[in-house]
Amino acid sequence: MSIMKQIEALYTQRGVRARELRQAGEKVIGYFCCFVPEEIITALGLIPFRIQGSQREPIDEADTLLEPMACPFARSCFNMALKGQYEFLDGFVAPHSCDTIERMYHIWRSNTPSPFNHLINVPHMMGPSSAEFYKNELHYFAGCLETFAGRKLDLEKLRQAVRLYNRRRALLRELYALRKAVPPRVSGTEITKVLVAGMGIPAAEHIDVVRAFIDEVQQRPAPRPDGLPRIFLWGNEIDDIAFIELVESCGAHVVMDDLCTGTRFFWEDVPETDDPFDGLVQKYLCTHCPRSLVPQAGGRADDLENRFGYIREFAAQWKADGAIFYIVRYCDTCELEGPDLKEYLTQQKLPVLMIEDDYSTTTMGQLRTRIQAFLEMIA
Amino acid sequence: MNADSRYFAGLDMGSVSVKALILQNDRVAASGLTPAGGNYKAAAAKVMEEVLARAGIASDDLSGMVVTGLGAQSAPWDAPQLSDISCHARGCHALFPSARTIIDIGGQFTKAARITPQGSIADFLMSEKCATGSGRFLQVISRILHIPIEEIGPLSLQAQHPVEFSTNCAVFAESETISRIAEGARPADILAGVHRAMAAKVKMLVKRVKLEADVVLTGGGGEDAGLVQAVGQALGLTILVPENPRLTAAFGAACLAAEHKRT
Repeated sequence: MSIMKQIEALYTQRGVRARELRQAGEKVIGYFCCFVPEEIITALGLIPFRIQGSQREPIDEADTLLEPMACPFARSCFNMALKGQYEFLDGFVAPHSCDTIERMYHIWRSNTPSPFNHLINVPHMMGPSSAEFYKNELHYFAGCLETFAGRKLDLEKLRQAVRLYNRRRALLRELYALRKAVPPRVSGTEITKVLVAGMGIPAAEHIDVVRAFIDEVQQRPAPRPDGLPRIFLWGNEIDDIAFIELVESCGAHVVMDDLCTGTRFFWEDVPETDDPFDGLVQKYLCTHCPRSLVPQAGGRADDLENRFGYIREFAAQWKADGAIFYIVRYCDTCELEGPDLKEYLTQQKLPVLMIEDDYSTTTMGQLRTRIQAFLEMIA
Repeated sequence: MNADSRYFAGLDMGSVSVKALILQNDRVAASGLTPAGGNYKAAAAKVMEEVLARAGIASDDLSGMVVTGLGAQSAPWDAPQLSDISCHARGCHALFPSARTIIDIGGQFTKAARITPQGSIADFLMSEKCATGSGRFLQVISRILHIPIEEIGPLSLQAQHPVEFSTNCAVFAESETISRIAEGARPADILAGVHRAMAAKVKMLVKRVKLEADVVLTGGGGEDAGLVQAVGQALGLTILVPENPRLTAAFGAACLAAEHKRT
């Protein structure tokens, strides 16, 4: 089976590998967002599984229990759980990433309890006192998970897990470097498949997949210059190719992102500290989700630079011609962060298109006009 | 298509109607409009056939064509497709070179765009999935009041005590309108209230793209004098309206087709 076929299978049949592992006696721990250190789960001999929704299935069951004006991503995930599509999870872990996910923890646990359930209290402010607090929270999480797993957390195994995940991070950065070429050697649609495919399988297996995919991409002939605009994507959950495929089909290359299904979960390594918990805290506390706040710095210009400087560097290094904000509807944190980021990027001469969408593939026709007009504007 | 002739076509496949226009040496040779109905392809074929006949040419006589609008993908011709925002921008620029802000009130969406002195888009915004600011709202009100859509504008201008709408949602406004009728409000006052509510939505969009004079109101909304007045009052300036506002995007598409051939 070619590597792309293998990725397609993992991307379309999410959960198949986790079910197999479970049948073989492994325990699978489902988790939300990019604040849960998979390293701890892996070091305890458990399989982490990132919970995703389905943009291709209507939300029906969940709306009998929830109001429809809540985050459609969270509702979609819960909808799948209610329909028994996450019955293979032995554990359910939610971080207090945003208020929706925090409440979702309680609702999920009441309606579809797993043998193990845990909420990690993640501080909102990135600062020294938060680091200390979060470290305690991670110890508490690890302790609860030890009881569930019936074994003690071996710090050497945790260090090994840190190195394993850092290896995957390095490979994913290597893959992203192939997007810097003009035109990029790999499409945004393919990248999304590779990333989503990895969310439901052990990191060691994903490493093999990414390695093989990079080898395949490197053998591709250099694409001919096409002059198409290069797009930077900012937003939250894009776990389906539909939107990125739409942007690319309108005549553009999606080359870089700041998404929780993209760079946000893998870009920075976990530093290899003496106490591995220190390294975990450093990486996971500073996840660039807009629900986290960087302490305010100086005046407005300094503050914007302090908060968004990394995005300016991403856009510059990947030669972006425009930025598209893709915000899942009712995501307050993104919607409140968007205007500041738009102001900052516009100052950097990077045009911005802000889109709010329903986390559904049925809205693509309506989005097409906006994307076309934006691409015509920046051409 | 024949490269020696000088006819260019613009086809705008909108949500409510399909519009076609033929340019001959930068002058409008023929134009037409037909309801989109449930079949974009058939409507497009029909209106193109009509305008070609009116211009006295065959489709082979066209040197170029641009297709735009929500239904552009189902166009039965292999022609370049551009967004209707670019086409409106180009059309308004050709009609009013002083235009810097464009408001397109169409059947499904309202769009606001700021354009450069050269007629290309500087920034734009579209109304979200909400009918309040779009022509759809007027269609709903027209049906409840049993007043044909083309009579809405003139009647609204006769209002003496415009009704205040407490909601900004077209669906709720429907029930609110019915309550007001029951309370004895005059149709003219109800319509003026509807126009004010729509103008408030439009104002929000325009302010977000940063208003710059002159402002052109195009699309079906431009044919409604009451709406044009309400938008002008909301923005505090005089609004320019093309002679045939619904044909602006088709006109812009034809202009872009002609420009494309020249370069």
